[in-house]
Amino acid sequence: MSTPPVIRAQDLLVGYGGEPVCAPVTFTLEPGSVLGLVGPNGSGKSTILRAVLGLLDPAGGTLEVFGAEVDERQVAYRTRVSSVLDDDAYFPALTVAEHLYLTARGHGVRGAQEVVDGILEEFGLAAHAASLPAALSSGQRRRLLLAAGFVRPRTLLVLDEPEQRLDRRMQDALAQRLRDERAAGGAVLLATHDPGLLRAVADAAVLVGDDESPLLSADEAADVIAQAPR
Amino acid sequence: MSGATDVGRFEVGELPRGRSIRRFTSATTNQRAGAGIGELLGDVYYAAIMAAIGIGIALGVTGTLREALPDADAGAGAPTVWSLPGLSLSALVVAVVVGLAGVVLSLAGRLGPVSAGGPEATWWLPLPVERRGLLRPAVARVPAGAALVSGVVVGVLDAGVLAAPGGRVLSTVLAAALGAAVLVLGASLGQTLDVSRRATSVAGDLVLAGAVVLAVASGVAGWRPDGLPAVSPLGLVGLVVVAGALVVAVDRGLERIPSRSLRAGGAVASQAVGAVVSLDTRELGRVLTDASLPRRRRASRLRLVRGPSSALVVADALVVLRSPRRLVLLLATALVPALVGTAPELAGPVGFAIALVVGGFVATTTAAEGARRAEMAPVLDRLLPLGARDVRLLRMVVPAGAMAAWSLVAFGVVGLWHQDVPGWLALGVAAVPVWAGAAVRAAYRPAPDWSAPLIATPMGAIPTGVTSVLARGPDVLVLGLVPVLVSVFLGRVHPEVVVVQTVLSLVVVAVATTTTTLAERLGLSGESPAAAPGGAR
Repeated sequence: MSTPPVIRAQDLLVGYGGEPVCAPVTFTLEPGSVLGLVGPNGSGKSTILRAVLGLLDPAGGTLEVFGAEVDERQVAYRTRVSSVLDDDAYFPALTVAEHLYLTARGHGVRGAQEVVDGILEEFGLAAHAASLPAALSSGQRRRLLLAAGFVRPRTLLVLDEPEQRLDRRMQDALAQRLRDERAAGGAVLLATHDPGLLRAVADAAVLVGDDESPLLSADEAADVIAQAPR
Repeated sequence: MSGATDVGRFEVGELPRGRSIRRFTSATTNQRAGAGIGELLGDVYYAAIMAAIGIGIALGVTGTLREALPDADAGAGAPTVWSLPGLSLSALVVAVVVGLAGVVLSLAGRLGPVSAGGPEATWWLPLPVERRGLLRPAVARVPAGAALVSGVVVGVLDAGVLAAPGGRVLSTVLAAALGAAVLVLGASLGQTLDVSRRATSVAGDLVLAGAVVLAVASGVAGWRPDGLPAVSPLGLVGLVVVAGALVVAVDRGLERIPSRSLRAGGAVASQAVGAVVSLDTRELGRVLTDASLPRRRRASRLRLVRGPSSALVVADALVVLRSPRRLVLLLATALVPALVGTAPELAGPVGFAIALVVGGFVATTTAAEGARRAEMAPVLDRLLPLGARDVRLLRMVVPAGAMAAWSLVAFGVVGLWHQDVPGWLALGVAAVPVWAGAAVRAAYRPAPDWSAPLIATPMGAIPTGVTSVLARGPDVLVLGLVPVLVSVFLGRVHPEVVVVQTVLSLVVVAVATTTTTLAERLGLSGESPAAAPGGAR
């Protein structure tokens, strides 16, 4: 019996009020692979991610995650899917470490405090472990959100422009983290504007557009991004 | 089952309960804020005192208003605008209570009613814990608020306007509070059954429209109920049982509410709470209105656009025309003076004055939505090659057009009452710029200044910086409508009054197009007018 891919999208249409925001997309994401979504601002990359996360019903086509229709109300789904979107909301009275502890404990991670300490170190937040979110810079808050995506078990990692607001060193560290994720058998779906990140980690990418959304190799997609008019 | 493997070297044990996650969050927050039982009791004490003072003031105002209106017995035989039996005060109150039910249901749909916004949506909802434990307090939040507000409003109407006896008021208040809670819990149950939030809010809007229909029908049929319907103790018990059953049903269905519904309601609720706390009625209106709009792309050829001026006017007009709710509201507010004209107990100077000022201000504010949005996101103001004064002047075009139509109905009714339709219509047309100017002045008001000094009063401190900002708009409205109000109380329109009204209208337009405050002109404020939206030239 063959195992289904982590994500299978066939002529997937996403949009609001029944009106699609981009051309239909077709792709599969297998375990141990990274798929990028690229395209200009407003092309529909984040909308596709929201559909994959169950935050939006598809306007058409087929979308299956782990071989079934997306239903984020299922505990099993939330156990396996980790996501980092563009949210910038934090409990104002919880420290950086407490946010991560909450996430790790919420997933039943044993020895959560040790896991949190390791992640804090890895994401350069150890010195800010006891800081409240309001005391962090924009880039540090972004690192906190990313750290929360890695402080818990997962099978699928969904990232929306993870390179945003990160310095070069952190971007390199993130690329290495994603390569490790792929090597460990994890699946990653990420929307990005960074050709370097795409070349470093992705196996393929969907160029999301109004008329068509072709599946390209990572290098081809990175070239498209690099050559896009600024 | 996918062949993908869990990533990361995690040793995973039993999942915690949602309740423990919620308690960890709140306990840490309370500990850090130093909030204990003493602070909680203090807050409850101050809230109760403020509510009691507010209710006392409302009862006093409604009682005074009742005494200023024609006597019920005398009013029953008094002439009305049309030869109809007329709308009785008690029937009007019943219609208002029905309208209140519509507002409660509509708001419930916009706010969730069950919701998780901001950090709760980001940090709680992705957790694989059972959501029931996380969301239980959110289930109680909106029903409790609706019960409190509905009980107070209905109590003030029953005791203040209808002068009902104490025992009856008590049962009415309890019934209103329980009824509101049942309505919201019903909406929550719908949310667990995947009924869209928009469907709930539209249902509430329809009930609200039904209240207007009920009022008109009561006026035509001459329905004169003996106050609000009495609710027996058995009826109250029944409401409690229904509310309890709904609580259980909603609690069981919490796991079925999708994240998107919780997040959408939470986003609206967070913004609405922020607007209320900062006394920003403009933002509150925007948030609640947008929450009911369908989210879809719209395209227009904008054929009427010939240049920057027409672009601004057409854009403002589209904002109003694309919202059926605003058009219905404009029509409903125009009907308010008409309803007053059919009510023997209301058809008098006080009734018409209140109907014109309140109804008119709601209408002109509705029509000036373009300007209200421009204050928040002044995209066109900054893109178009127009001076700040010109922008404000042009933003008066849409509210002026809407209020011209509104005045034909509202002032026409007053004219019918006084048997001088041409005179009142002339006065209404002369007053149109006042409405438009007040709306634009209110739209472009700055953010409340919380650093200004407080004035101590027996009812608590009044923040002058906030009240002076909130008064921008209504101030020129009241001053600019003095000729109208004088005419309403005199019962006739003198030609000289129309001339005075025209002059005052021009003054209001001049004030509303000013981009600096009096304090800035006197050099008492360090704030640059160029920093304000619409003043960046």
